[in-house]
Amino acid sequence: MTQDVEMKDHQTPSHSVSSAVPSTLQHLKEIASLIETGSYTKEVRRILRAIRLTFGLRRKLTASVLSSFLDFALQPGSEPHARLSSFLPKEDEHDMEVDTATSAVQAPAKHLLPELEMYSYLLVLLFLIDQKKYNEAKACASASIIRLKSLNRRTLDVIASRLYFYYSYSYELTGDLSEIRGNLLALHRIATLHHDELGQETLLNLLLRNYLHYNLYDQAEKLRSKAPRFEAHSNQQFCRYLFYLGQIRTIQLEYTDAKESLQQAARKAPVAARGFRIQCNKWAILVRLLLGEIPERTIFMQKGMEKALRPYFELTNAVRIGDLELFRTVAEKFASTFSADKTHNLIVRLRHNVIRTGLRNISISYSRISLADVAEKLRLNSETPVADAESIVAKAIRDGAIDAILDHANGWMVSKETGDIYSTNEPQIAFHSRIAFCLNMHNDAVRALRYPPNTHKEKESAEKRRERQQQEQELAKHIAEEDDDDF
Amino acid sequence: MLAQLVEASQQFERFKAAFVRKDYDTCSNLLSQLKVSLTKFRSLPPLFENTPNANNELLLAIVYFIFFMAISREIYEHAVVLSVKIEDQDAFERDFFQLKPYYTDAGNRLPPSPQEYPILGLNLLRLLVQNRIAEFHTELELLSATALEDRCIKHAVELEQSFMEGAYNRVLSARQTAPHETYVYFMDLLAKTVRDEIAGCSEKAYDYLSINDTRQMLLFSSDQELLEYIKDEHPEWEVKNGSVYFQKAKESAPCKEIPSLQLINQTLSYARELERIV
Repeated sequence: MTQDVEMKDHQTPSHSVSSAVPSTLQHLKEIASLIETGSYTKEVRRILRAIRLTFGLRRKLTASVLSSFLDFALQPGSEPHARLSSFLPKEDEHDMEVDTATSAVQAPAKHLLPELEMYSYLLVLLFLIDQKKYNEAKACASASIIRLKSLNRRTLDVIASRLYFYYSYSYELTGDLSEIRGNLLALHRIATLHHDELGQETLLNLLLRNYLHYNLYDQAEKLRSKAPRFEAHSNQQFCRYLFYLGQIRTIQLEYTDAKESLQQAARKAPVAARGFRIQCNKWAILVRLLLGEIPERTIFMQKGMEKALRPYFELTNAVRIGDLELFRTVAEKFASTFSADKTHNLIVRLRHNVIRTGLRNISISYSRISLADVAEKLRLNSETPVADAESIVAKAIRDGAIDAILDHANGWMVSKETGDIYSTNEPQIAFHSRIAFCLNMHNDAVRALRYPPNTHKEKESAEKRRERQQQEQELAKHIAEEDDDDF
Repeated sequence: MLAQLVEASQQFERFKAAFVRKDYDTCSNLLSQLKVSLTKFRSLPPLFENTPNANNELLLAIVYFIFFMAISREIYEHAVVLSVKIEDQDAFERDFFQLKPYYTDAGNRLPPSPQEYPILGLNLLRLLVQNRIAEFHTELELLSATALEDRCIKHAVELEQSFMEGAYNRVLSARQTAPHETYVYFMDLLAKTVRDEIAGCSEKAYDYLSINDTRQMLLFSSDQELLEYIKDEHPEWEVKNGSVYFQKAKESAPCKEIPSLQLINQTLSYARELERIV
């Protein structure tokens, strides 16, 4: 389905570059110490930063770096160390010697932090996925999840949410997503009980992805509507959530809401996540077509997306002209693309919109036209084109798509004059929606402002002090006045 | 366990005999007994408790289990068909949901049932009749490409399309091409829905229609029926000079009033928001 936000670079381990190895290792050690301080001071922010730094190093990871890092972070011979090392491929002697030498100096026996242990799992998992060792990755991920279930520390949440993601990802790569659904549900329950909001967010998305992978829209919607919602913690997760929400709503014909979430998802997604944005755009285009809108040409011309959006561009063109024949050829021509995108059923739904647009064009251009001509222009392929055309036009009139009157006795359609739009409430509604958008934007911007943690309190206390001083002064003045009165 | 199974299958045989005789009362009775006895087998869908799998059970146990699952699937399939015969839509929905796990979750363990597509198509038709279009599309997404090619399912999908477009006569003519005898019940229900739709469209699209045309359009066999329908459903239509006039229904449409309350509300909210900014 969607490509993930993160980049996938598959590199081969570089044994030859000797200088790169220690520097990567050095970076990893710095990250480890960052995690350590984060864990002791209970500052989630530090761990978040550590994870971010790790993804910068991702492409430099090699088996030798990893095994020496494991020696450094986990006590050699301990149980997690043994388990994790077994996932790594054997390295040649030379590297091992160098690594043990460095780690022997720097690894004093110490109490093992769960954060560091889980972080090591994450590193190994990343490495295995990059090396396309999916079965090992699955085993490693499952082991990490079992270990995670027994831990309950808020400082772990960030690492845990990444682990959940790669757990699901490794199963998706081997096509066994349905296996872990029960497990994910259990994890989501645990995260909810622990008030681990980041974990809940991640797991909810993973579950939605899991359901949507098998087209289980009903279950996905039931879960989504009942799961607790809160302010988003991670932008990426929020984008994904919006995308899944948009998909569900599209299938359930709530096009207006679907359009909103899909467009928001596409807008909020980071620029690097091209695959994700393409997917969002594809769905958003279809939803807008289903709503009877025609997407602007610039949407199809976005950088790096022209090729992927080409089928949808031609489809839009067919809908815009209102030509059923052209629509049919486009749908057939790109049938494989559409079924790969799982949008085939949506395109079947579009047929109705093609007819509507065609009809609208006819109604604008002719003040009176016979139904036989309407049927011919719409290219309705049926045995009774006139009767079909008549009822189709009747429904379009009822739904407000065209403003016309039918004359059954003469068999023609009479279009009404298009009224002056400024005599209706239409401009006012448009004005209101724009103002509401601007005001919302302002409010969101204010809400998104970040303040350093304690300034608010200090400011308040400063204000209070001033207030107190003022009160004291007044009191003193009062007393002085009273004294004056006495005399 | 085995004794219970034998008993259940005997009951099912009796049920099938009554079904062939079209003795639907006996059928319903037997069916409720059967359903109760099926609840005792916890390894069946949707519970799947201790289901034998290839690793730890004897081959015989697996064969026996699959055989049994096939029987229970058949029982529910009959239940669905029976509910159509006795024209009970709620029972249809219940039975269908009990049957569904056999198709979706146990599908890979059982040989496909010849009844699967007709019943899925029937369910789509039911959703269409009840105007639950969102659920209709949700169900549609679950079907594979081969399922969509099936005659029964295609029938339902095409019906939905014609219905959405407004090609109502195509919907009505589809009754003749119904792929399965059980479909007729829902097609009849659909005809009623279609009549209401046509009536709704006509009053907007035409100024007047001759009684003859109205009768044909609304599929009544006599003028008498048409007049009764108008009296019951659309008293606002006017019948004079051999024509039906829809004028009255339209008169309320243009409304030139200024929506003052809404305007006040909007203006106040702008003021409030602006105050917050400045």
